[in-house]
Amino acid sequence: MERVGVFICHCGSNIGAVVDCAKVAENVRNYPGVAYSTDYKYMCSEPGQEMIQNAIKEHNLNRVVVASCSPRMHEKTFRACVEKVGLNPYMFEMANIREHCSWVHAGKNEEATEKATDLVKMAVSKVCKNEELQKGHAPVTKRALVVGGGIAGIQCALDIANNGYQVDILERTPSIGGKMSQIDKTFPTIDCSACILTPKMVEASSHPNINLITYSELEHVDGYVGNFEVTIRKKARSVDIKKCTGCGTCMTKCPGKADDEFNMNLRKRTAIYTPFPQAIPNKPVIDRVNCLKFKSRENGKDVCGICSKFCPTGAIDYEQVDELVTEKYGAIVMATGYEQFDHSIYGEYGYGKYPDVISGLHFERLVNASGPTQGHIVRPSDHKEPKTVVMVKCVGSRDPEHGKSYCSRTCCMYTAKQATMIRDHCPDTKVYVFYMDVRTPGKLYDEFYNRTREEYGVEYVRGRVSKIYQDGEQLMVKGEDTLLGKQVEIAADMVILANAMIPQTDSEKMAQIVGIGYDKDGWFTESHPKLGPVETHTAGVFLAGACQGPKDIPDSVAQAGAAAVKVCALLSKDQLETEPTVSKVDTKICSGCGLCVPVCPYKAITLETIQERRAGKTIERLVANVNSSLCQGCGACTVTCRSGAANLKHFTNAQILAEVDALCQTIL
Amino acid sequence: MSDIQSEMRATAKQLLESGEATVVIGWEKGTMPYNSTPVMIRSAADVDKLIWDEYCQQNLSTYLIDFIYTEDKVAIFAKGCDTRAYNRLIQDKRISADKCIVIGVPCSGMKSAKAAAKLPEGAEVPMSKACKECRYPNPVVFDRKIGQDVTPWCTEKDFSDVEAIEAMDQDAKAAFWKEQYTKCIRCYACRNICPACNCTNCIFDQSASGWQSKDINASENQFYGVTRAFHVAGRCIECGQCEMVCPSDVPIMLMNKKFIKDIDTLFGAYEAGLETEGPVPLSHYEVSDPEEFM
Repeated sequence: MERVGVFICHCGSNIGAVVDCAKVAENVRNYPGVAYSTDYKYMCSEPGQEMIQNAIKEHNLNRVVVASCSPRMHEKTFRACVEKVGLNPYMFEMANIREHCSWVHAGKNEEATEKATDLVKMAVSKVCKNEELQKGHAPVTKRALVVGGGIAGIQCALDIANNGYQVDILERTPSIGGKMSQIDKTFPTIDCSACILTPKMVEASSHPNINLITYSELEHVDGYVGNFEVTIRKKARSVDIKKCTGCGTCMTKCPGKADDEFNMNLRKRTAIYTPFPQAIPNKPVIDRVNCLKFKSRENGKDVCGICSKFCPTGAIDYEQVDELVTEKYGAIVMATGYEQFDHSIYGEYGYGKYPDVISGLHFERLVNASGPTQGHIVRPSDHKEPKTVVMVKCVGSRDPEHGKSYCSRTCCMYTAKQATMIRDHCPDTKVYVFYMDVRTPGKLYDEFYNRTREEYGVEYVRGRVSKIYQDGEQLMVKGEDTLLGKQVEIAADMVILANAMIPQTDSEKMAQIVGIGYDKDGWFTESHPKLGPVETHTAGVFLAGACQGPKDIPDSVAQAGAAAVKVCALLSKDQLETEPTVSKVDTKICSGCGLCVPVCPYKAITLETIQERRAGKTIERLVANVNSSLCQGCGACTVTCRSGAANLKHFTNAQILAEVDALCQTIL
Repeated sequence: MSDIQSEMRATAKQLLESGEATVVIGWEKGTMPYNSTPVMIRSAADVDKLIWDEYCQQNLSTYLIDFIYTEDKVAIFAKGCDTRAYNRLIQDKRISADKCIVIGVPCSGMKSAKAAAKLPEGAEVPMSKACKECRYPNPVVFDRKIGQDVTPWCTEKDFSDVEAIEAMDQDAKAAFWKEQYTKCIRCYACRNICPACNCTNCIFDQSASGWQSKDINASENQFYGVTRAFHVAGRCIECGQCEMVCPSDVPIMLMNKKFIKDIDTLFGAYEAGLETEGPVPLSHYEVSDPEEFM
């Protein structure tokens, strides 16, 4: 016998000012199944909850409906409330008469009261069909995967490892280090980027709890929170990492030449290479596209092989192939970082054709002591020191028409930093900065910007650059100074563009592999912009660093630490509670057509053979089976199943039909 | 036709005598001249029951389901539509190709038995509507084939009847369908004959589920019609069997064709039952799918 208690909440004036709560309670008092009905100012308050608990005891209630706000707000509260006095938490139902009623029908009090009554009747009809459900348990693999070996990934891995958990760093390039390893100095302290990064890299590589998987790609992710199964493609290095001692002889002998991506193609590297001298692991890889041996093999020949001849340990292995390995993890942290916006789409900046119009990251390599010019600031075209440098901010940022609508956050500061560095290295060089706004929120950031202008004498011009064109050896930069309201023209020797930060070009594919959301620009989406900044909507997957949106190093490191804490909180559990509101297949009804398999976004459904007795014989047939740990309860299978064999617990066909019937009967 | 008929009998005889098949599904002559009904032949002595004439419209593939749990090896004569139904059943994992021998028979279109029943004897009987619109008269899959392929007389899908309904205003549409489904007696013949209606446990037989009451009235009947059209959407092979068997002449194919038209428009041209693998339009998603409705 169903004995439903109905509790109508006023939510102060949020509901009470529109819906006549006492009348709603009155309207449903005699509705089938209702044993008790009342209203109260704040149902979620302690007296409100006590009221529910007392009513359960006094009136012997076995089901409860609270009509108040969205279940996203207080379903947990009320489930816990009824559970405390012995009711199964799933014998509770919430009618949303705030977001779904009072807030959207303000001023139409009478109709809103009627609608609230309908919503409560629907909830009562459903709760009468509800069944007691029990939470499930799933084990936890106590090991984390960090995807991306930049500063965010390294920091996150170190924090997890220092908490005593095993962690793997997956990095697609031959070395960990990321963008920070390309940067020369860091703002606002101007300390050497490598000097603060390399100790972290070394710590990560020598940490007993950290395992580096470099030159490898994320291929496929299966499983669920606590139990991910990740397939990793270990790309063929063509070097046996166990035999290689990192002596570097191969690199000095290699005749193959290729653009040096690490140095922004400002110089050449060999075909067998490590991206930079402090690379970790400090073991080279063969770039097969540019290796003479592999190139000759395409033409049916087999030449060169010099690296192999000179290698003292016989580590070169031309026959290596990509290897697919599957590993188990309890949690995944995405720390895939960013790329630099390509300014060659802008005609006004010369479509990327002028060699002396360079990006911020190019400049970092130019000014770096181990870079292509040994740290001398010279023009890429003729290696002469520039006497006048123009810097342009917001290249690709805050340009919804051609570039990105967002602010890249870091450019104001790195432009100021680079301007001071030019003034430091070449005191006679004049530096102009074209800007839209200067945004320097951050500890000691605005002070740094002011020093750039006041102490270093960098000229800030508020306005956009309308055209850059080659004029003899110089670049003519035309723009507007909007503060003076006049056109300016500067003859510059070099132009540095502050290019926007964009996500990795394949970030959307990555997100799809891992099963997390991404925004229109390809940045990974956090679960809540304020209260869940490192979580994603997929349980067990977290975000660190710039893959979530433009970030500087301090922010990336802070977020990495935050993600690590979330991972550790997850890995510290021996078992995870799983929601029982998942799909279940009635094998008696299931025909085994398998149409539910491809529609399941969580790959939770498989076809299984079962044995049955039929007409005196044992037969075997296929039926669908739902893995309750993988299932997220979306219900896609239940609407695909024609015969109604798949049913979502707590949202069963019968329960939803009861709601529809309650509504339709009211209308009739 | 007689050449094909004798070849059918010879093939059946050979299959049964050699033991390659334990049962052969074909057509035999029914009680009326315009009835050719399914027959299951287990003995080589009975092969002369098999016939091939202009009334062999009935899709035989559905009968393969009856043999899934038997030890039989089943040979089946199959026109273009029967083979598309066969593919559909394989794709729905309701039958196993290992148990079946498909003997393809190219078809020149069948006459409408319903029309014949109303005409005086000897009168010219028109082709059935489904056959008139048929684009696949030749078997799309077979283990053996009898006869010569014919040239399809239709290449494009004909949606003129659907468009006529689409052009009606809402009230006229509602009135039209209400009238049609008032005639329906819910005998479920359309469901029973349909090769796409192959669930082990049909939703309309689960009376306790609450989806469908046993009342026979325009509302319940329309719910039945619409639900069934949804259930076969994306899997209907347009054999027209549902209309053929309907004792109340409900234009069932009209609704099925509306779904086919919508699927073509929304998800790209699709022909059910040509393949046994690959995505089915309504049971498949891609991350790149348009989400205009979101």
